[in-house]
Amino acid sequence: MAWDFGYTKEEEAYRQKVAAFLDKELTEEIARQNWEDLGLDKEGRAFGNKLWESGLLGWSWPVEYGGKGLSPVYDFILIDELGKRWSAHVPNDVAYTMVGHTILRRGNDAMKKEFIPRIVRGEIEFGLGYTEPEAGSDLANMKMTAIDQGDYYLVNGQKTFNTESHYSDYHWLAAKTDLKASPYKGISLFIVDQRAPGITIRPMITMSGERTNEVFYDDVKVPKNRLVGEVNKGFYYMMEALMSERNYVFTPSRYYPYLNMLVDYAKKTTYLGKPLAEDPMVRQKIAQIAVEIEATQLLSDHARWMEWNHQTMTCEPEITKVVVSEMEQRMVDNAMQLLDQYCQLEEGSKYAPLKGRIEWEFLHSFMTTIGAGTSEVGRTVIATRGLGLPRG
Amino acid sequence: MDFTYTDDQKMLKEAARRFLAGACPNVEWYLEMEKEEKGYTPALWNGMAELGWMGILFPEEYGGIGGSMLDMVTLMEEMGYAALPGPYFSTVILGGCTILTAGSEAQKQEFLPKIAEGSLRMTLALTEPATTQYNPSLITVKAKAEGDSYVIDGIKLFVPDANVADWMIVAARTAGKDADRDGISLFLVDSKSPGIAMTLLKTVAGDKQCEVVFKKVKVPKANLLGEPGKGFAVIEKTLQIAAVAKCAEMLGGSNKVMELAVAYAKERVQFGKAIGTFQAVQHLCANMKMATEQSIYITYKAAWMIDQGMPEARKFAAVAKTWVSEAYKKVALIGHQIFGGTGYIVEHAMPIYSRRAKTGEYAFGNPNYQREIVAQELGL
Repeated sequence: MAWDFGYTKEEEAYRQKVAAFLDKELTEEIARQNWEDLGLDKEGRAFGNKLWESGLLGWSWPVEYGGKGLSPVYDFILIDELGKRWSAHVPNDVAYTMVGHTILRRGNDAMKKEFIPRIVRGEIEFGLGYTEPEAGSDLANMKMTAIDQGDYYLVNGQKTFNTESHYSDYHWLAAKTDLKASPYKGISLFIVDQRAPGITIRPMITMSGERTNEVFYDDVKVPKNRLVGEVNKGFYYMMEALMSERNYVFTPSRYYPYLNMLVDYAKKTTYLGKPLAEDPMVRQKIAQIAVEIEATQLLSDHARWMEWNHQTMTCEPEITKVVVSEMEQRMVDNAMQLLDQYCQLEEGSKYAPLKGRIEWEFLHSFMTTIGAGTSEVGRTVIATRGLGLPRG
Repeated sequence: MDFTYTDDQKMLKEAARRFLAGACPNVEWYLEMEKEEKGYTPALWNGMAELGWMGILFPEEYGGIGGSMLDMVTLMEEMGYAALPGPYFSTVILGGCTILTAGSEAQKQEFLPKIAEGSLRMTLALTEPATTQYNPSLITVKAKAEGDSYVIDGIKLFVPDANVADWMIVAARTAGKDADRDGISLFLVDSKSPGIAMTLLKTVAGDKQCEVVFKKVKVPKANLLGEPGKGFAVIEKTLQIAAVAKCAEMLGGSNKVMELAVAYAKERVQFGKAIGTFQAVQHLCANMKMATEQSIYITYKAAWMIDQGMPEARKFAAVAKTWVSEAYKKVALIGHQIFGGTGYIVEHAMPIYSRRAKTGEYAFGNPNYQREIVAQELGL
């Protein structure tokens, strides 16, 4: 027991293996599908397969399901190495970093056998079916119902902002199973075939060009064996998983490529005959970006370390989430000031600098303080759970 | 990775918390120390020496306990939490560490055991009126060789605790042109040497920072610390250690402010409710928590890198000093906001911390200075 900010020999060896693999196999095209949440197409899936074939997936998963039975640190290393190369997450990441863990914790044996091996191999993806028009920050206010019909559940209602549903194999669905109980005790989780009869998926295109979806359920029959864990425990399962999910999803490492790109730009771009890099204001702004990324990376390292050492997390991953999302907005603002008027140019335009990535990130950054829980909800969680302030 | 203190560090932390809570009893006492010319009491100083804190970083052969930088920041965090006044920092870090880095065996034998036992106070005279920058190449105070001595002329400004230092380390130019990296030398100077005049400055935090004027001050050549003209690297190393130690101190202060303000938000009732139930106040508290959490890990990582002798320590010390300086300032401001008018009264604990947050921000390189170091390390 002593402060230590490095990896063990084994962890470092894994990191180097992953790094070497990614440097060779991760093309810009694949990375950008991933980064820009465009969904996995053929190349993305082929890349996911290669990752598995090369023996780099699943180290943190139980041996009986095809993993190596090691601690989550290996998956975190994998995510960070992807992040450093413009890939925000593993291919099929909702399955691998979110849903899979809850199945492992709460699913019965049959469900684990059916799904976990394919998740570990990176073969299947889930759409996250939580948000509804009336249930954003107040998730418990969802209206979708799943009524027990004896040998199946009959599901009706509408989900929104379900980002992966147009290409995912399954829907990870939260719906009300007890209409009279408090919502916290009346919601259950289901795995639904995303292409089941009665499901309609409509695209919603975001301001940064990502696709997300509305998903409508019209008398969809869900087999009983697709109920996750116990009935009416769904809200509890969702909350139980939340901290860990933040550890996997909010990864400061994905901002290093921006930093490197800006350093490079400042060195190569001249202004009135001098490299931008010689301008003290430019140096200050880029250095500030570096300071914030490093300090935020440590929040993430710490919260993840708590997770893989089985410590109770109260608000630590929430802190990472709020900080990293607000940092992204400040980073973009600083970067745009460096580009001056060129910052407005989108990819493909004449004169567009840095492939328009800063312009894209600007558009994207409006979402980060909202998606997966707003900064306001996050701060309330930090204040009440982290600091013990009374609930209002 | 591991984010835990060793058992020894936990013991050190607990002992420090206990001792300093008794030794720095209340706001009246702090205000007295601020008015007092010395700024500390012999009882406080001797108590710390008895606990072994003066020699925490020195090897045993010099009377120390051979501790690491991580041990140092553990202790420093508690000193910041208690808002400890006095010349501990100047003596042990600015004086002791510099001698440990650059001193000859004889110099180490002469000075370090005395520091470790608490019988000697020291400081480092580095910054100057024209720039007030910590960059050693900007030093203009001159030291000229004359026979067996050097003769120092010039003014040093913002020298911490020079008023109580028995000896000081003075950085002066012995060769080269203005702004040259080479040509800076370090000298061990007896504070009672003829030609030295000191003026205590009146500062926002009531700490003891001085102007020190050197007029033809003769220093024996034997008092050169390290090789002549090679002081730059020595100073940089000391500044790196000092910046990280200052981060730990500020981190401790940050924690204290957060603790006070959150406790107050839980008990202060307005509109019929504890103000801590209002989201406007909760979110301010969350901001304190976020800023402070980041301060912890960046400080300890920088300390760890120094212990590991990693070249990236230069960058991380600068990252830490930038982050923590701004975080503490933010936390102090929020603390005031939560306490409202009551925290604005001079007898309240808040001003003790918010005034120190400002001093800490400027000590050993403000955020602008540190960001420039980060920029260099990024290859800009």
